[in-house]
Amino acid sequence: MSDDVTSGWFDARIVTGAHPASLLPPTDRDAIAAHLDRYALSGALVSAMASWLHDPIGGNAEASAIAHDLADRGVLACWTAVPATSGELDSLTALVDRAVDDGVAAFRIHPASHGFSPALLNDLYAALQTNRLPLCVDAAELSWPDLNTIATRFPELPIVVSNLGYRKLRELWAALVGHTNVFVDLVDFAAHQGVEWLVANDLADRLLFATGLGVRDPGESIVRLAWSGLDDATVRLVGSENARRLLQGVRA
Amino acid sequence: MIGRRPPHRIVDVHAHLGPYSLFFIPESDAATMVAVMDRTGTDVTVLAANRAIQQDAHLGNSQSLAAVDAYPDRIAAYAVINPWQEPERELERLAGDDRFVGIKVHPSLHRYPVTGARYAAVWEFAESTGCPVLSHSEHQSPYDAPRLFEAVAERYPGTSVVLGHAGITPAGVDESIAAARRYDSLWLEVCGSQMTGPLIRAMVDEVGSGRVLFGSDFPFIDQRMSLGRVVCAPLTESQRQDVLSGNARKLFRWRPLPGERGVGQ
Repeated sequence: MSDDVTSGWFDARIVTGAHPASLLPPTDRDAIAAHLDRYALSGALVSAMASWLHDPIGGNAEASAIAHDLADRGVLACWTAVPATSGELDSLTALVDRAVDDGVAAFRIHPASHGFSPALLNDLYAALQTNRLPLCVDAAELSWPDLNTIATRFPELPIVVSNLGYRKLRELWAALVGHTNVFVDLVDFAAHQGVEWLVANDLADRLLFATGLGVRDPGESIVRLAWSGLDDATVRLVGSENARRLLQGVRA
Repeated sequence: MIGRRPPHRIVDVHAHLGPYSLFFIPESDAATMVAVMDRTGTDVTVLAANRAIQQDAHLGNSQSLAAVDAYPDRIAAYAVINPWQEPERELERLAGDDRFVGIKVHPSLHRYPVTGARYAAVWEFAESTGCPVLSHSEHQSPYDAPRLFEAVAERYPGTSVVLGHAGITPAGVDESIAAARRYDSLWLEVCGSQMTGPLIRAMVDEVGSGRVLFGSDFPFIDQRMSLGRVVCAPLTESQRQDVLSGNARKLFRWRPLPGERGVGQ
């Protein structure tokens, strides 16, 4: 068992910006840089709190600003999408084109929080699939039947489920065995021995390390993986190699 | 870089055992729990079987004792007292069996307030013996909101009560801190899905590091979730060690935990 395998992980979810109802560590540019230093991380995927809780499309600029500012630290942007709506967003395909030009590595959606049906984003899913950009979504934002529908209709679109909690293994199991394009990250992946259970069932390549800095205490995921029952090679796989395979721009 | 070897010695004062109907728990058995403890540096875990809190206190308490028998140096048991399931019988059983080191109550699950008469025997027993009591606590619950424990502390000042989850929500933590500042007999335990390192720091700052306890709820929730919040929290190393194990060794004096006699005995 080598301590070296606990460095170089890629944090597949950070949310920059203030949270209005939690006492959490800060997530501005300097705080994210300090987070990368403290845990010897190789990079991170950053979305904007403003995109979730204030201005979905406008907030993307805050994610990109962090990504550009910390590009040399391996930080990438994750943009947020909502349905094309007059006055808010002209075109989902144009949004994805702009994201690709900006070096964005993934998209996030919040159907429940933003009040729309996931089917209204079919153009987004198609554009992401074409451009090999993953779709990220919190478990609470999307019903399991809707996830199943998207994963079936867009089988080459990687879908990363986040914030699973500890009560959803029955649903997660069905999603993972039913769709090879469904993944889960470690943000609040809180089921007892859940990580070890997935690995024992040959699903190690579906797990992504992520802390959820900004919405969760990062210590949860750090200790969860470092002191897991996984062997060193699997820790490395979950810590960084899966992200490198899934996200364009993740450094070796 | 955190490394793969935990640097601290840990006592986990809030744990369970076995399956739970609402969701699937992989490997919820005692052997796996001890294997997790080996990885996290946990010397001792004090548990109450899920069956005892969820469905049948008597049968569940027997499951807890079986786990103690299997791992007497690593596991200690709470006796779950359900106010609807012959509480006097289980208190007698607790009194006569040294494998129980404390009492666990879950007023929210059992839908009965901590201030109700059916719990009086619990508080009286605990006060007369020094047996610590761990209770679920939940902000705004009509059964176990943190402020309700102030009435228990007022009436039974010699009873050590651990507020499990410290109220669960950030606002519940604030309410728990306020209660613990008023009554020295109230202790705060840190596990919960909404807990964060800064909230734990607030407990330590406001109550002192001497009455904040590490617990995880495992295998209800993976032990490493709560542990990670404490290990990475903005505490001094002295404060961290108090929370992770030192305070538990002080609290469990009635029947000391495995591995060390209680402080002062």
